[in-house]
Amino acid sequence: MNEKIVIVPCSGIGKTYGTVSREAAYEVIEELRPESAQLVPLSMLVLGEENARAAVAASPAITIDGCKLACATKMVQESGGTIAQDFAVLDVFRRNRKLKPQGIAELNEGGQQLAHALAEEVAAVVDKLNGKVETGDEKLRSSAPCF
Amino acid sequence: MPNLPQKKVGIVACSGEEMAEGTVTRLAALKVLEELRPNETVTICLPLFLAGGEGDRAFARFYPTIAVDGCALRCAARATEQYSGKPAASVVVTDIVAERGIGPVAGLRRLNEAGQQAVAETAATVADLVDTLLDKKWSRREGRFLESEPVMQEEAVAKSAASCACGSGIPVQTVQVNGQQVTLIALPPLLAQFKQMGKRPSPETAAELLAQVKIYNDVPDAMESQYQEVLAQEYALFCAEGVAA
Repeated sequence: MNEKIVIVPCSGIGKTYGTVSREAAYEVIEELRPESAQLVPLSMLVLGEENARAAVAASPAITIDGCKLACATKMVQESGGTIAQDFAVLDVFRRNRKLKPQGIAELNEGGQQLAHALAEEVAAVVDKLNGKVETGDEKLRSSAPCF
Repeated sequence: MPNLPQKKVGIVACSGEEMAEGTVTRLAALKVLEELRPNETVTICLPLFLAGGEGDRAFARFYPTIAVDGCALRCAARATEQYSGKPAASVVVTDIVAERGIGPVAGLRRLNEAGQQAVAETAATVADLVDTLLDKKWSRREGRFLESEPVMQEEAVAKSAASCACGSGIPVQTVQVNGQQVTLIALPPLLAQFKQMGKRPSPETAAELLAQVKIYNDVPDAMESQYQEVLAQEYALFCAEGVAA
Protein backbone atom coordinates (compact mmCIF):
# COMPACT_ATOMS: atom_id res chain seq x y z
CA MET A 1 0.00 0.00 0.00
CA ASN A 2 1.46 3.33 -1.08
CA GLU A 3 -0.96 5.96 0.14
CA LYS A 4 -1.43 6.57 3.82
CA ILE A 5 -4.89 6.57 5.31
CA VAL A 6 -6.06 10.16 5.67
CA ILE A 7 -7.15 11.45 9.08
CA VAL A 8 -9.15 14.68 9.09
CA PRO A 9 -9.95 16.06 12.56
CA CYS A 10 -12.25 18.92 13.48
CA SER A 11 -10.50 22.30 13.52
CA GLY A 12 -12.78 23.90 16.10
CA ILE A 13 -11.25 26.10 18.77
CA GLY A 14 -14.31 26.90 20.82
CA LYS A 15 -15.15 23.56 22.42
CA THR A 16 -13.38 20.78 24.31
CA TYR A 17 -14.44 18.08 21.86
CA GLY A 18 -12.60 19.86 19.04
CA THR A 19 -9.39 19.63 21.02
CA VAL A 20 -10.08 15.97 21.79
CA SER A 21 -10.51 15.26 18.07
CA ARG A 22 -7.18 16.90 17.25
CA GLU A 23 -5.30 15.27 20.09
CA ALA A 24 -6.56 11.87 18.99
CA ALA A 25 -5.53 12.53 15.39
CA TYR A 26 -2.06 13.61 16.50
CA GLU A 27 -1.66 10.50 18.62
CA VAL A 28 -2.53 8.30 15.64
CA ILE A 29 -0.15 9.94 13.17
CA GLU A 30 2.70 10.54 15.62
CA GLU A 31 2.60 7.51 17.90
CA LEU A 32 0.17 4.76 16.99
CA ARG A 33 0.29 4.53 13.19
CA PRO A 34 2.88 7.02 11.89
CA GLU A 35 3.73 4.85 8.89
CA SER A 36 0.20 4.21 7.71
CA ALA A 37 -1.77 7.36 8.55
CA GLN A 38 -1.41 11.02 7.64
CA LEU A 39 -3.22 14.15 8.76
CA VAL A 40 -4.89 16.50 6.29
CA PRO A 41 -5.81 19.91 7.71
CA LEU A 42 -9.38 21.01 7.27
CA SER A 43 -8.42 24.59 6.42
CA MET A 44 -6.65 23.44 3.26
CA LEU A 45 -9.72 21.50 2.18
CA VAL A 46 -11.83 24.59 2.73
CA LEU A 47 -9.49 26.57 0.51
CA GLY A 48 -9.49 23.76 -2.06
CA GLU A 49 -5.72 23.45 -1.86
CA GLU A 50 -4.53 21.06 -4.55
CA ASN A 51 -2.34 18.76 -2.44
CA ALA A 52 -4.97 18.38 0.25
CA ARG A 53 -7.65 17.51 -2.29
CA ALA A 54 -5.31 15.06 -3.97
CA ALA A 55 -4.61 13.38 -0.64
CA VAL A 56 -8.28 12.78 0.15
CA ALA A 57 -8.95 11.70 -3.41
CA ALA A 58 -6.17 9.14 -3.32
CA SER A 59 -6.92 7.44 -0.05
CA PRO A 60 -9.86 6.56 2.18
CA ALA A 61 -10.41 9.09 4.94
CA ILE A 62 -11.27 8.81 8.59
CA THR A 63 -12.96 11.94 9.86
CA ILE A 64 -13.22 13.01 13.50
CA ASP A 65 -15.89 15.59 14.25
CA GLY A 66 -16.12 17.59 17.43
CA CYS A 67 -19.78 18.56 17.12
CA LYS A 68 -22.94 17.74 15.24
CA LEU A 69 -22.12 20.18 12.46
CA ALA A 70 -19.66 17.54 11.23
CA CYS A 71 -17.43 19.93 9.29
CA ALA A 72 -14.68 17.36 8.77
CA THR A 73 -17.03 14.80 7.27
CA LYS A 74 -18.80 17.35 5.09
CA MET A 75 -15.57 18.85 3.80
CA VAL A 76 -14.09 15.49 2.82
CA GLN A 77 -17.29 14.72 0.95
CA GLU A 78 -17.20 18.17 -0.70
CA SER A 79 -13.61 17.52 -1.71
CA GLY A 80 -14.50 14.30 -3.49
CA GLY A 81 -13.04 11.99 -0.88
CA THR A 82 -14.27 8.61 0.30
CA ILE A 83 -15.11 8.43 3.98
CA ALA A 84 -14.23 5.07 5.43
CA GLN A 85 -15.36 5.94 8.92
CA ASP A 86 -16.71 9.09 10.48
CA PHE A 87 -16.12 9.42 14.20
CA ALA A 88 -18.00 11.82 16.45
CA VAL A 89 -16.25 12.63 19.72
CA LEU A 90 -19.61 12.68 21.49
CA ASP A 91 -20.21 9.04 20.55
CA VAL A 92 -16.82 8.04 21.90
CA PHE A 93 -17.59 9.96 25.08
CA ARG A 94 -20.84 8.00 25.42
CA ARG A 95 -18.79 4.82 25.33
CA ASN A 96 -16.43 6.23 27.95
CA ARG A 97 -18.74 8.11 30.28
CA LYS A 98 -16.44 7.85 33.26
CA LEU A 99 -14.09 10.29 31.54
CA LYS A 100 -14.90 13.97 32.04
CA PRO A 101 -13.08 15.99 29.37
CA GLN A 102 -12.45 19.65 30.08
CA GLY A 103 -10.24 22.38 28.68
CA ILE A 104 -9.65 23.72 25.20
CA ALA A 105 -6.11 25.07 25.05
CA GLU A 106 -5.03 22.22 27.30
CA LEU A 107 -7.04 19.10 28.03
CA ASN A 108 -7.44 17.79 31.54
CA GLU A 109 -6.62 14.19 32.39
CA GLY A 110 -10.10 13.01 31.40
CA GLY A 111 -9.80 14.77 28.06
CA GLN A 112 -6.45 13.19 27.35
CA GLN A 113 -7.78 9.76 28.25
CA LEU A 114 -10.78 10.28 26.00
CA ALA A 115 -8.47 11.35 23.17
CA HIS A 116 -6.41 8.22 23.74
CA ALA A 117 -9.50 6.00 23.65
CA LEU A 118 -10.56 7.68 20.42
CA ALA A 119 -7.08 7.33 18.96
CA GLU A 120 -7.13 3.60 19.65
CA GLU A 121 -10.44 3.29 17.81
CA VAL A 122 -9.09 5.28 14.87
CA ALA A 123 -5.93 3.19 14.77
CA ALA A 124 -8.03 0.03 14.66
CA VAL A 125 -9.88 1.39 11.63
CA VAL A 126 -6.57 2.28 9.97
CA ASP A 127 -5.46 -1.32 10.43
CA LYS A 128 -8.68 -2.68 9.07
CA LEU A 129 -8.55 -0.39 6.06
CA ASN A 130 -5.00 -1.39 5.30
CA GLY A 131 -6.04 -5.01 5.37
CA LYS A 132 -8.96 -4.31 3.07
CA VAL A 133 -6.94 -2.23 0.67
CA GLU A 134 -4.13 -4.77 0.51
CA THR A 135 -6.35 -7.77 -0.17
CA GLY A 136 -8.78 -5.83 -2.31
CA ASP A 137 -11.51 -8.27 -1.32
CA GLU A 138 -13.98 -5.66 -0.26
CA LYS A 139 -14.63 -2.30 -1.83
CA LEU A 140 -14.93 0.62 0.54
CA ARG A 141 -18.28 2.27 0.66
CA SER A 142 -18.80 5.94 1.35
CA SER A 143 -19.66 6.64 4.99
CA ALA A 144 -19.95 2.95 5.73
CA PRO A 145 -18.83 1.92 9.20
CA CYS A 146 -16.00 -0.55 9.22
CA PHE A 147 -17.18 -2.36 12.31
CA MET B 1 -32.87 48.70 16.16
CA PRO B 2 -33.37 44.93 16.44
CA ASN B 3 -31.81 42.92 19.20
CA LEU B 4 -28.90 41.69 17.11
CA PRO B 5 -25.42 40.78 18.33
CA GLN B 6 -23.54 43.90 19.43
CA LYS B 7 -20.62 45.04 17.37
CA LYS B 8 -17.78 42.64 17.96
CA VAL B 9 -14.73 41.61 16.05
CA GLY B 10 -14.67 38.15 14.48
CA ILE B 11 -11.57 36.01 14.80
CA VAL B 12 -10.99 33.25 12.23
CA ALA B 13 -7.95 31.06 12.86
CA CYS B 14 -6.61 28.73 10.19
CA SER B 15 -5.98 26.12 12.89
CA GLY B 16 -3.65 24.34 10.45
CA GLU B 17 -3.20 21.02 12.17
CA GLU B 18 -0.20 19.96 10.10
CA MET B 19 2.19 22.66 11.31
CA ALA B 20 3.23 24.16 14.65
CA GLU B 21 2.32 27.64 13.44
CA GLY B 22 -1.24 26.38 13.03
CA THR B 23 -1.23 25.47 16.70
CA VAL B 24 -0.01 29.01 17.39
CA THR B 25 -3.03 30.43 15.56
CA ARG B 26 -5.42 28.36 17.66
CA LEU B 27 -3.83 29.23 20.98
CA ALA B 28 -3.40 32.91 20.08
CA ALA B 29 -7.04 33.18 18.99
CA LEU B 30 -8.15 31.48 22.20
CA LYS B 31 -6.03 33.84 24.27
CA VAL B 32 -7.73 36.84 22.66
CA LEU B 33 -11.20 35.29 22.93
CA GLU B 34 -10.87 34.11 26.52
CA GLU B 35 -8.36 36.41 28.20
CA LEU B 36 -7.46 39.56 26.32
CA ARG B 37 -10.73 40.69 24.69
CA PRO B 38 -13.46 38.26 25.83
CA ASN B 39 -16.30 40.76 25.55
CA GLU B 40 -15.31 42.22 22.22
CA THR B 41 -14.62 39.12 20.13
CA VAL B 42 -16.37 36.11 18.67
CA THR B 43 -15.11 33.24 16.57
CA ILE B 44 -16.35 30.78 13.99
CA CYS B 45 -14.82 27.61 12.61
CA LEU B 46 -13.40 28.22 9.15
CA PRO B 47 -15.03 25.09 7.62
CA LEU B 48 -18.48 26.40 8.50
CA PHE B 49 -18.24 28.83 5.61
CA LEU B 50 -18.78 25.76 3.44
CA ALA B 51 -20.26 23.17 5.78
CA GLY B 52 -22.63 25.58 7.51
CA GLY B 53 -25.56 27.70 6.36
CA GLU B 54 -26.14 31.19 5.02
CA GLY B 55 -25.94 32.60 8.54
CA ASP B 56 -22.43 31.22 8.91
CA ARG B 57 -21.40 32.60 5.54
CA ALA B 58 -22.64 36.04 6.59
CA PHE B 59 -20.11 36.08 9.45
CA ALA B 60 -17.42 38.30 7.89
CA ARG B 61 -20.01 40.72 6.54
CA PHE B 62 -21.64 41.04 9.91
CA TYR B 63 -18.47 41.31 11.97
CA PRO B 64 -15.25 43.01 10.94
CA THR B 65 -13.02 39.94 10.94
CA ILE B 66 -9.36 39.27 11.64
CA ALA B 67 -7.91 36.25 9.86
CA VAL B 68 -5.11 34.53 11.79
CA ASP B 69 -2.99 32.32 9.56
CA GLY B 70 -0.05 30.08 10.30
CA CYS B 71 1.74 30.40 6.98
CA ALA B 72 1.89 32.28 3.70
CA LEU B 73 -0.77 30.04 2.18
CA ARG B 74 -3.23 32.15 4.23
CA CYS B 75 -6.07 29.64 4.16
CA ALA B 76 -8.11 31.57 6.73
CA ALA B 77 -7.83 34.94 4.98
CA ARG B 78 -8.40 33.60 1.50
CA ALA B 79 -11.24 31.24 2.37
CA THR B 80 -12.96 33.90 4.47
CA GLU B 81 -12.81 36.33 1.57
CA GLN B 82 -13.93 33.66 -0.90
CA TYR B 83 -16.93 32.39 1.05
CA SER B 84 -17.94 35.08 3.55
CA GLY B 85 -16.45 38.54 3.17
CA LYS B 86 -13.11 40.28 2.95
CA PRO B 87 -11.34 40.15 6.32
CA ALA B 88 -10.82 43.56 7.86
CA ALA B 89 -7.31 42.56 8.87
CA SER B 90 -4.99 39.66 8.46
CA VAL B 91 -2.04 38.36 10.46
CA VAL B 92 0.39 35.59 9.54
CA VAL B 93 2.33 33.84 12.30
CA THR B 94 5.42 33.19 10.19
CA ASP B 95 5.63 36.94 9.48
CA ILE B 96 5.35 37.81 13.16
CA VAL B 97 7.98 35.21 14.05
CA ALA B 98 10.36 36.66 11.47
CA GLU B 99 9.70 40.30 12.37
CA ARG B 100 10.14 39.76 16.11
CA GLY B 101 13.18 37.52 15.77
CA ILE B 102 11.48 34.61 17.49
CA GLY B 103 13.33 31.31 17.14
CA PRO B 104 12.08 28.26 15.23
CA VAL B 105 8.57 27.32 16.28
CA ALA B 106 8.07 23.60 16.85
CA GLY B 107 5.66 21.15 18.48
CA LEU B 108 2.29 20.35 16.99
CA ARG B 109 0.82 19.21 20.30
CA ARG B 110 3.12 20.93 22.77
CA LEU B 111 4.71 24.12 21.54
CA ASN B 112 8.33 24.82 22.37
CA GLU B 113 9.39 28.05 24.06
CA ALA B 114 9.55 29.92 20.76
CA GLY B 115 6.06 28.70 19.99
CA GLN B 116 4.77 29.99 23.31
CA GLN B 117 6.39 33.35 22.58
CA ALA B 118 4.79 33.37 19.15
CA VAL B 119 1.39 32.76 20.78
CA ALA B 120 1.89 35.75 23.09
CA GLU B 121 3.09 38.04 20.29
CA THR B 122 0.36 36.98 17.89
CA ALA B 123 -2.35 37.35 20.52
CA ALA B 124 -1.10 40.82 21.47
CA THR B 125 -1.09 41.86 17.80
CA VAL B 126 -4.63 40.57 17.30
CA ALA B 127 -5.83 42.31 20.48
CA ASP B 128 -4.40 45.61 19.23
CA LEU B 129 -6.19 45.10 15.94
CA VAL B 130 -9.45 44.40 17.78
CA ASP B 131 -9.18 47.75 19.55
CA THR B 132 -8.45 49.55 16.30
CA LEU B 133 -11.31 47.90 14.44
CA LEU B 134 -13.81 48.63 17.20
CA ASP B 135 -13.03 52.33 16.86
CA LYS B 136 -14.13 52.31 13.24
CA LYS B 137 -17.63 52.44 11.85
CA TRP B 138 -18.59 49.11 10.29
CA SER B 139 -21.39 48.71 7.75
CA ARG B 140 -23.12 45.38 8.15
CA ARG B 141 -24.98 46.05 4.94
CA GLU B 142 -21.85 46.51 2.86
CA GLY B 143 -19.49 44.37 4.92
CA ARG B 144 -16.83 47.06 5.07
CA PHE B 145 -15.77 50.14 7.01
CA LEU B 146 -17.52 53.39 6.21
CA GLU B 147 -14.38 55.51 6.55
CA SER B 148 -12.62 56.39 3.35
CA GLU B 149 -9.24 54.98 4.38
CA PRO B 150 -8.42 51.52 3.08
CA VAL B 151 -8.99 48.53 5.31
CA MET B 152 -5.91 47.51 7.26
CA GLN B 153 -3.98 44.59 5.94
CA GLU B 154 -0.48 43.32 6.70
CA GLU B 155 0.97 46.84 6.97
CA ALA B 156 -0.98 47.36 10.17
CA VAL B 157 0.43 44.17 11.57
CA ALA B 158 3.96 45.21 10.76
CA LYS B 159 3.43 48.30 12.95
CA SER B 160 2.74 46.96 15.58
CA ALA B 161 -14.37 32.45 27.78
CA ALA B 162 -14.27 32.10 23.95
CA SER B 163 -17.40 33.25 22.19
CA CYS B 164 -17.94 30.50 19.68
CA ALA B 165 -20.37 31.23 16.86
CA CYS B 166 -20.50 27.60 15.70
CA GLY B 167 -24.07 26.60 15.02
CA SER B 168 -25.52 29.96 15.86
CA GLY B 169 -24.51 31.98 12.84
CA ILE B 170 -26.04 35.27 11.87
CA PRO B 171 -29.86 35.19 11.75
CA VAL B 172 -30.96 35.09 8.13
CA GLN B 173 -34.09 34.22 6.16
CA THR B 174 -34.44 33.33 2.51
CA VAL B 175 -37.35 34.86 0.59
CA GLN B 176 -38.48 34.96 -3.04
CA VAL B 177 -38.22 38.34 -4.76
CA ASN B 178 -39.31 38.39 -8.40
CA GLY B 179 -38.83 34.63 -8.54
CA GLN B 180 -35.27 34.87 -7.24
CA GLN B 181 -34.16 33.49 -3.89
CA VAL B 182 -32.73 36.25 -1.73
CA THR B 183 -31.18 35.71 1.70
CA LEU B 184 -31.86 38.58 4.04
CA ILE B 185 -29.57 39.10 7.01
CA ALA B 186 -31.34 39.89 10.30
CA LEU B 187 -34.90 39.42 9.01
CA PRO B 188 -35.95 36.85 11.68
CA PRO B 189 -35.20 39.11 14.68
CA LEU B 190 -36.70 42.10 12.85
CA LEU B 191 -39.97 40.25 12.35
CA ALA B 192 -39.96 39.15 15.98
CA GLN B 193 -39.22 42.64 17.20
CA PHE B 194 -41.96 44.24 15.11
CA LYS B 195 -44.47 41.72 16.41
CA GLN B 196 -43.31 42.28 19.97
CA MET B 197 -43.84 46.00 19.45
CA GLY B 198 -47.44 45.26 18.50
CA LYS B 199 -47.15 46.47 14.92
CA ARG B 200 -50.02 45.23 12.77
CA PRO B 201 -49.40 44.07 9.20
CA SER B 202 -49.97 47.10 6.98
CA PRO B 203 -48.28 49.00 4.13
CA GLU B 204 -46.82 51.41 6.73
CA THR B 205 -45.35 48.54 8.75
CA ALA B 206 -43.92 46.99 5.60
CA ALA B 207 -42.24 50.29 4.75
CA GLU B 208 -40.74 50.45 8.25
CA LEU B 209 -39.59 46.88 7.93
CA LEU B 210 -37.95 47.63 4.61
CA ALA B 211 -36.06 50.54 6.16
CA GLN B 212 -34.71 48.22 8.86
CA VAL B 213 -33.87 45.46 6.38
CA LYS B 214 -31.86 47.97 4.34
CA ILE B 215 -29.58 48.56 7.32
CA TYR B 216 -28.26 45.03 6.98
CA ASN B 217 -28.84 44.19 3.34
CA ASP B 218 -28.17 45.65 -0.06
CA VAL B 219 -31.59 46.40 -1.53
CA PRO B 220 -31.42 47.82 -5.08
CA ASP B 221 -33.37 51.07 -5.40
CA ALA B 222 -35.29 49.78 -8.40
CA MET B 223 -36.42 46.73 -6.43
CA GLU B 224 -37.65 48.44 -3.26
CA SER B 225 -41.34 48.04 -4.04
CA GLN B 226 -40.92 44.33 -4.72
CA TYR B 227 -38.95 43.89 -1.49
CA GLN B 228 -41.58 45.79 0.45
CA GLU B 229 -44.32 43.60 -0.98
CA VAL B 230 -42.42 40.45 0.00
CA LEU B 231 -41.73 41.80 3.47
CA ALA B 232 -45.42 42.58 3.90
CA GLN B 233 -46.27 38.98 3.02
CA GLU B 234 -43.56 37.56 5.29
CA TYR B 235 -44.65 39.71 8.20
CA ALA B 236 -48.31 38.79 7.76
CA LEU B 237 -47.31 35.13 7.67
CA PHE B 238 -45.10 35.57 10.72
CA CYS B 239 -47.86 37.22 12.68
CA ALA B 240 -50.31 34.51 11.65
CA GLU B 241 -48.00 31.63 12.49
CA GLY B 242 -45.78 33.29 15.05
CA VAL B 243 -42.79 31.55 13.57
CA ALA B 244 -40.13 32.88 11.22
CA ALA B 245 -39.58 30.41 8.39
